[in-house]
Amino acid sequence: MAEIVFKWIVFFIASILSIFSSVMMVTRKNPVHSALWLVVTFISLAVLYFLLNATFIAISQVIVYAGAIMMLFLFVIMLIHLEKGPEEIGKMTVSRIFAVVLTVLLFVEILVGVYFYRAWTVKPEPMPFGDPKTVGKLLYTKYLFPFEIASVLLLVGIIGAVVLAKRRKM
Amino acid sequence: MKEYLGILIIILLSSLVAILIVGISYFLGERKPKKVKLLPYECGMTTIGPSRRRISVKYYIFAMLFLIFDIEVLFMYPWAVITKDLKLFGFVEMFIFIVILLIGYFYVWRKGALEWE
Amino acid sequence: MVEHSYNLYLLLSAILFTIGAIGVITRRNGIIVFMCIELMLNAANLAFISATGIQKALEGMIFVFFVMTVAAAEAAVGLAIFVMIFRLKGTISVDEMNLLKG
Repeated sequence: MAEIVFKWIVFFIASILSIFSSVMMVTRKNPVHSALWLVVTFISLAVLYFLLNATFIAISQVIVYAGAIMMLFLFVIMLIHLEKGPEEIGKMTVSRIFAVVLTVLLFVEILVGVYFYRAWTVKPEPMPFGDPKTVGKLLYTKYLFPFEIASVLLLVGIIGAVVLAKRRKM
Repeated sequence: MKEYLGILIIILLSSLVAILIVGISYFLGERKPKKVKLLPYECGMTTIGPSRRRISVKYYIFAMLFLIFDIEVLFMYPWAVITKDLKLFGFVEMFIFIVILLIGYFYVWRKGALEWE
Repeated sequence: MVEHSYNLYLLLSAILFTIGAIGVITRRNGIIVFMCIELMLNAANLAFISATGIQKALEGMIFVFFVMTVAAAEAAVGLAIFVMIFRLKGTISVDEMNLLKG
């Protein structure tokens, strides 16, 4: 019983923190600040993954997103020193209000999809435990081909980024 | 789930320490700002020009390579856990994966992107 | 957790996705638009993981793992493109990116 209450408390703290920090991320003027708020969002999402028993995914969320990808983002912000970027917050143009209305419509649409058009039933078994061992057993036997294709994707990523960013020798 | 309690404790402890260190020095410390004190180097050369210089794009290539090989190592975690069960099969599949990524590594090497001119 | 709570996870994922979409539409700074896209990817990941809880099948986690790989490759190439656009035009405002306009 105590464990369930504890999980609910952690869930509410993490979810409110993730919503708050993503709102801060969207509204900050300085890109460095919004990058740091995005790190907070990623870490609170990692906590939610822990609650859902996806421990391996939670760990890789911290390593990949909060560690490596945001590091790259901050690098680029510093690289092209954007602290005072092209800014615009506060102007309420017609097109912008229209865009926000459209997005709220999208939200309602997702909610309708989730709550009224339910195509599933929650299976009564206990939640599977996604530690590295279980994930690995599935990944390296059944999903072997996607795994090898992922390496080709990473190869393309390396080559693309080097071709784009390497200064040509004149 | 119990074995992950240590993570929670270390998160709480480290955030407590961080808040305490910053908070105590904020409340107890005296602040009498003078012009000399606000300089970046209080004793030493006065800085010339803005400190936000544009960083060279060379750093970007290294950061990008770190990101890609970080993912590669992440793929190796679950493999390393079950490598005894997979036997030779697991070895071969990881070998192919690494060889494909090594092609990228040698490409970057040949292009001279690893050199610091 | 209680079975009912998967709805809350899906609701949270929808909220985060919407916040990301609002950011993509209203912001003009290219880097922030890109960060909002990462946020939307994460919201989709959360939906995948809660679908794992609903179906009790581990496939959702494998999916999320590949989404992370794609996001990393995308970030490497996309940010390189931003660096090049900045070198070419001196700005990364998405309104100025009209090179393909005839």
